[in-house]
Order: sequence, then structure tokens, then C-alpha cells
Amino acid sequence: MPLRRLFAATSVAFLAVLAISPAKNVLRPYRAIQRRYFALAASRAKSLKEARGFARRKVAIQQLWLRDFDDRVDRCSTCHLGTAEASMAGAPEPFRLHPKTAHTPGDFDRFGCTSCHGGQGLATEREDAHGTAAEAGPPMTPLPLAEAGCGRCHFAESVADAPMLSRGRALLEKEGCYACHTVRGHESFRSQAPPLSTESVKTGGAWLKRWLRNPRAVDGNATMPDFQLADKEIDALSNYLFSVAPPRELAPRISLAESEPAGDAAHGKKIFSEARCISCHTVEGKGNGSAPELSKVASAATRGWIHAFLRDPQAFNPRTRMPRYHFSDGESRDVVAYIESEFRDFDAPADMLAPVHVNLTLAEAGQRIFRTAGCVSCHDPKTGERFGPDLNGIGDKKATSLDFGRRRELARTLPAWLAAKVDSPRSFAAGLKMPSFELGPEDTRAVVTALLSLAMEPPPEKYRVAAPSAVAPLPGGAVGRLFDRYRCLSCHRVGDRGEDVSTAPLTFEGSRVKRDWLVDYLVVPYSLRPILEERMPVFRMPREEAAQLADALETFFLDPQVPEDPFAGRPASDADAGEGQRLYVTLGCRACHILGSSGGYYGPPLTETPKRLKAGWIDSWLKGPKRWRSDARCPNYGLTDTDALRLTAYLESLPPAAPSKGTTP
Amino acid sequence: MRRPAIALAVILAVAACRRPAASRRASASVAAEPSYELRMGKSVFQHYCQTCHGESGAGDGFNAFNLDPKPRDLSDPAFQKSKRDADLEDAVRRGGNGVGLSPLMPPWGHTLSDQQVAEVVLYLRGLRR
Repeated sequence: MPLRRLFAATSVAFLAVLAISPAKNVLRPYRAIQRRYFALAASRAKSLKEARGFARRKVAIQQLWLRDFDDRVDRCSTCHLGTAEASMAGAPEPFRLHPKTAHTPGDFDRFGCTSCHGGQGLATEREDAHGTAAEAGPPMTPLPLAEAGCGRCHFAESVADAPMLSRGRALLEKEGCYACHTVRGHESFRSQAPPLSTESVKTGGAWLKRWLRNPRAVDGNATMPDFQLADKEIDALSNYLFSVAPPRELAPRISLAESEPAGDAAHGKKIFSEARCISCHTVEGKGNGSAPELSKVASAATRGWIHAFLRDPQAFNPRTRMPRYHFSDGESRDVVAYIESEFRDFDAPADMLAPVHVNLTLAEAGQRIFRTAGCVSCHDPKTGERFGPDLNGIGDKKATSLDFGRRRELARTLPAWLAAKVDSPRSFAAGLKMPSFELGPEDTRAVVTALLSLAMEPPPEKYRVAAPSAVAPLPGGAVGRLFDRYRCLSCHRVGDRGEDVSTAPLTFEGSRVKRDWLVDYLVVPYSLRPILEERMPVFRMPREEAAQLADALETFFLDPQVPEDPFAGRPASDADAGEGQRLYVTLGCRACHILGSSGGYYGPPLTETPKRLKAGWIDSWLKGPKRWRSDARCPNYGLTDTDALRLTAYLESLPPAAPSKGTTP
Repeated sequence: MRRPAIALAVILAVAACRRPAASRRASASVAAEPSYELRMGKSVFQHYCQTCHGESGAGDGFNAFNLDPKPRDLSDPAFQKSKRDADLEDAVRRGGNGVGLSPLMPPWGHTLSDQQVAEVVLYLRGLRR
């Protein structure tokens, strides 16, 4: 009897255990979610047939099989059912239509969801799939940082439709992160920070100490971050820097410049503004800000140093972006006289430029700090050496492997850790070396986005999108030396090289402007776009050099798709030009362009078009202004070939400007 | 006596399969983020429209004073109310000329994608003062 009872009890228990498996499935939350979705979709459907279709659908796991990505399976669409359903625009989560992007909805089947968003594709419960459960795998990238996903395949610095990622990558470059951290594709990065070999004859102990205390407090444009040095370290470093003897080829230049008579400050002022120094520098905050603020520079450096530097900045710092102007001795003297008279810190102590009397013990200690604090990484970069940890794969770090140190209050996630590291790197533990960049929340977020895009493993070969390489080889020889001397690439892009300060990349300059105009322009540049702070400096370039440069641009920097003669041998008639004029008015070109005495300030003035622009280029531009710059604002009017030619004919037929050309602002 | 025991066993078994609510603390992070579409619309507006229509859409961009007639005050509630989204999209695509207004407003239909036009109109709707 008791045996029978025991048998009955175990049978019931066995059945109960058997029932668990189907019960577990029936009770999964996704079933209820799918039923809710079908009801919602049916109610939003455009037709009765569609609605019935939804009502008939069966509850089932949905999945995408990603053959190219290690045969991964994404089941996100089990709950996110409306991602490709147009009627689900604006529906509540998890049913919302996925915003249209370059890859959605077209590439759902190839990429799935996790390739961009991260998370656990195989899981079918919310916390597991999103990776928020304690024991789940790596979590999803938070939506505000979602552009990190774009960066896992797109390796270019600037990625279209991913402004946050592009900004983050630009910041990593600008802040000099690559000087200390290894990141694939940036191994050849070198900081533009100057070698510190002439400090002893450049500045004084008081100024140097201020600078080392916090460079960005001295100059808002400073690229050097705050190393939070202790007073003792600052003292040692100052002693070390003053113990370094200036190189033999620079010392006499500085002392010679020091001994020269003072120039004419009023004339210097004129040259200073012509030279457009504020295309890079600022004066009391006005200017581009990619080079030092100048309003107190005479209290930061000696007259001789400033003068010798101005004459040949590249001898002082081979990595500098500063061009070598063609000032005569008298002219540079005048500019320095102006700087000496105006750009002073009138509150500075009198001994600002007094040298440090070097204590050798301290200097030795300073030399050690110079190495151990990482100063060398920027100021004396050696190939292959990187001071900080390798950042490749940082975007795939597991949160459990991160050292949160003192920051116990932080959420235990990679994005939170990265944000805190970027924002206040020293707050994790004592003795950490990364300096503080004071980026602010928006920039920090952009940098974290860029960091999260650095994956452990690159995507499959065919999904990698490298930087577009329209590599135009730079000219060598004499022209190459001119490019180098005037540092054209500090502002202009050539192919994928150079910086994008100027609105005019030089890659196809020869197809764009006429040679003779270019020679005149290089000798005495004027402002094509008066609204821009950054304008072409007057280098005082000799005419022969200008001709040499213009010839090279005319010969080699060509766009093969721009025709030499768009009229194909049949010159435009007056009637065509007349039609073109009518088009100019009806299209509203004057909203942005000045022609004659009126027009907008946005595009370049067109009065001088026949002298400046080539007909072939105008015609090509009108048919597709975005061909040369994706950020061109000039609208594409969808002109027919005939109309584009007529407008070209009109612009090329404009009468030469009246001699009062000097009024161009 | 036996039946409640079985019921209890089943309930216990099922409960054991349910996961304890692991993360109630998550989901607090994403506050009022503007949507992807809105962010894209804003960047289109800033790039192409702001110079004339102004940051707030009031028609006071820096290039506005060169224009006659002046750019439309997009933040005017009466104007916003009088236009459907489709009207605004049409005006963006075909420009002033296309909709019988000043040609100084260019047509953007060949420059912006349909998606971008929809996004910028979405952003315009938020400029209402």
C-alpha cells in the first residue's frame, strides 16, 4: 500500500516536471508581445485584407540568419516586429518602425540588428537580449551612442549621416589622443606640439609655471591638456626645460633678431591684418582658434624669439602648420614691433620673462618627469612608441573586466566607464597619468561614440568601408617645396590629405580656376567669401613662385570629368547668354551670390567670374554641385544640359569689373 | 489533500522557471532624447536653411537682410497652422518658384532626399514659438 502511494506521488511529480517545458514556452513574454503587435498592426492597417492578414498571423520566434557574420542569428524581430512595417511609424516600442537610414530597411537581411546595435541576438527575453541582465553577454550600445555601430565598418574619419561619430573621431585626432594611444589606422600620427629645445631663450620661469599649471587656462586654444602637475613637478620641469641648450642653428638667429632695431608698429599692424594671422590664431578670441591666442604673446615670449620664429617657424618646429611668410627683414621687424606694442599682458608680473636659474638636481628630476609623465609623446615623438594603453578593441571590452577603482557610483557599463575616463581620468585611482581634456558633455559623448566603434575584430572583409582614397600624389621637387613652405595642406585638402579649413580643396583646382587669375590671386589674395573668418593669407609670395604653383595646379590637379570646352566648339550666342541671364534671375542665384552691386553674402561673388572660373567647371558645377564637396550648400536645380550651358554662357560673358575692384570687402 | 499539493508543486515549478526581475534599475538612463529623425532634420536645417531663416526659424538669418522679399518666419504659429506637412514638403522640394512665391528660396528637391525633406519638415514643426 505505501509502495503504491509512493508510486502515485512520484508519477505526479514526474508529470509536473514534464509539463514545465511547454509551460515555460507558453509563458514566455514574447508571445503576449506578438499578440499585442498583431492586434495593433491590424488596427493600423490600411486595408481590411491587410488587417485580416495580421489577425491570422501565428505566434512564432522570428529570426535572421547572418551568414556573413559567423553564422550568427538575430531574433530581435521576435519582439521588434514593426521595424520594416511602414504603418508602424511612431508606434510605441517595441513595435516602432526603424528610422530610414542608408542601410534600413534595405540591409536588414544582410546585417541583422546586432551588427550595428550590439546586444545578444539569440536571446528572446528583453533583459538577456539587451544585455542588461547581470549574467547576459555584452549589452546593446545605448541609443544616443548608436552611431558607434556605423564606425565598426566605416573606417573613414568622417562618416556621412553619422555626425556624432565623425565629431568624436575628429576630436580624438585634434586632442592628440593618438599620440599616446595606439589605434589602427593612426599609427603614423604625430603631434604638432613643438620640440622644447628653445624654451630657455623663449620664455621665462613665471610664464612657464603658469602654463604647466594649466595650459588651457593660459590660452583657450591650447591643445596641451591639463596634467594636474604638483608644484614640485612644475618646478622640476621648468628647471629641466631651462637646462636644455638651444640648438646651434637656432641660437644665433634668436640673438641676432633680439639685437635688431625696432620697426614701425603702425606699418606692422597693416601687414599683420593682411597676413590673415587669425585664419588660424585668435586675437582676443576672434579667429579660427586652431593656433595660439596672440593677444598676450609678447608677455609669453621674448622679442628675439618671436622674430626668429616668424621668419622661419618650420626651423623651430618641423611639424608646425604655420607657413613661412615672405616678409622682408624690415617687414618682419614691423610686425614684431606691432606685436610688442599691442599683444601684451598688462597685468603680468614684471619678471614674467625672467629665466630660471637652473638647479641641476631639479633639472635631472624634471628630465625624468618629462619621460614618465608622457611629455615626450607629443613633444619628442619617436616612431612606434606609445605611452598609453592600446585602444584597439576597447569598444568590445566586457564591463566586468574594467577597473572602476574609486568610482563606485558609476553604472557598471562600458559606456559609463569610458565617459568617466574621458571626463575625469584621474578620478579612478591615485597615480594615473592621463591628463584632463575638459571636453564638456557633448564632446565627451562624441568621443565615447568613437571609442565604442573600435571593435576587437574587424567585420568580414566585404563589409569594411575604408576611407575613400582619392589620393592625389603631391608634387615633388620645387613645387613640392613651395607646398611645404606655405603649408598649403594646413588649410586645403588635396585628395584625402590636408586639413579642411578652406572651402576650396585643391584636388581639382586646375579644372576650376583660370591660370592667370590664380597667379594674381596667389600674389595678392583677396576674400572670396567675406563671411568667413578663415581667409587666404597674403604670403607676399614672389610672382615666380605663384606662377610655378599655378602652372602645377593647371597641369596636374585636374578632374577628368570636367570638359575643357563645354560648348564643344560651338561658342554660345548672345541669345544663349540672354537666356542665361533670365535663368540667373528666375532661379534666385542672387539670394546667395553678389553680382554687380547686390546679392547675398553666402556664396562667392560672381562679378569676376569670366576672369576666375573655367566654363567647363561652371557647367559641371551647375549640374551637380555636390560632386566636389558633399557639404556644398549650392542647390542642385536639376537643370537641363541646355540651361546649364546657357547660364554658363551668361556668367562667362559678364563684362570685366569696373576698376573700383578694391571695394570687394 | 492531494490536489492542493499537486497544484502547489506545479505552481512552484513554473515559478522556478520565471526569471527573477533582474534589472529594475536599467531603463532609467534614456531620458527625453530627440528622435533620430529629429536630429537629422535639425542638421539639415542648420546646414541649408539657417543662414536665411535663422536659428529659431524667425526669418532672421544673417543673409536675410540681403533678400527682398524677406524669408518666411517659420516659427509663426498662424503660418504653421495654415500649412499641412505635405505643403511644407512641397515648398522645400520645389522652392519659391515652384509654389508661386519668391525665387530666392531655392528648390531642394534635387539636393535633399525625400527622407531628408520629411525630416526637415518634422524639425520645422518644432520651431513653432
